[in-house]
Amino acid sequence: MATGRYTSDLEEGDRLGPVDVVISPFQVREYCHANELHQPCFQNDPNPIVPPTMAHLEKLRFYTIYCPDGCGPNARVHYTFDVRWHGALRAGMPLVVEGVVRSRYMKRGREYMDVDITMRDKSADRLLVEYRDTVCLSYREAAKDAA
Amino acid sequence: MDRTPMELNPGDEIRSAPRVMTRERMRWYVDALPTVEANDGRVHFSVPTIHDDDEYAKGQGLPGIISDGMITSNWILDLLLRSLGTQVLEDPGALLTKFVAPVYEDVPITCVLRVEGAQPLPQGGQRLSLKVWAEDGAGKLVTVGTAAVKIH
Repeated sequence: MATGRYTSDLEEGDRLGPVDVVISPFQVREYCHANELHQPCFQNDPNPIVPPTMAHLEKLRFYTIYCPDGCGPNARVHYTFDVRWHGALRAGMPLVVEGVVRSRYMKRGREYMDVDITMRDKSADRLLVEYRDTVCLSYREAAKDAA
Repeated sequence: MDRTPMELNPGDEIRSAPRVMTRERMRWYVDALPTVEANDGRVHFSVPTIHDDDEYAKGQGLPGIISDGMITSNWILDLLLRSLGTQVLEDPGALLTKFVAPVYEDVPITCVLRVEGAQPLPQGGQRLSLKVWAEDGAGKLVTVGTAAVKIH
């Protein structure tokens, strides 16, 4: 395990969770408001649908738990968001969320990391969301190219 | 869009109205993250990031702040839901986005869906596969990806 300090310390195979999670209506409304997702299913429903983009926050949850000192010497940059949902995930639903550092690899001189996350309905043990997150860990170099 | 989702055909494109990626929109997202994480009903503020702090962004080699890629992902999702209905979240679906160019302050962003395939399903409805992207005012791609949803 390479957890406990920086995101950039994470290693292939590191397990994240499982953790018990209940996403609240407040969390859904706040996230959707910030992203201008004003659909009634997010803002008005007493048990709103959790937008699939919120799966990204589960990675951040794991970073908070396992990498409390932040990203390391360079800012990381989010490169790919890849989500599949198998049905509606609603606020208030007890969930089990877990993740794994699937791979770290070099591509065109930059280092990338894939983290796979699953979100399951705890009571039915039903898979609701699968998410793969890819970040570039060597952002300073990427930023020079972008500038 | 003047057709129903079931009338969409491969090659059809749906474009959003442009939204300007203002400093406020970037900050709304940045501060939403600790606010959602705290989950106590109050607003919480982020540590400095490349998305809201000019000096921090310059220290990372950027000319200025850039938006978080999840904002354009959410704007693409918004266009998907406005165009095809929120029912697509009740059935299995997928969304993939890649952040291929930085989005700087005050850049106008247009989101686009293009139907690539429409497969009728035995139980009714059809499965749409789409290319999705966000482009700047000059038509340069900043976010690219795919989506797959069931429509009725």
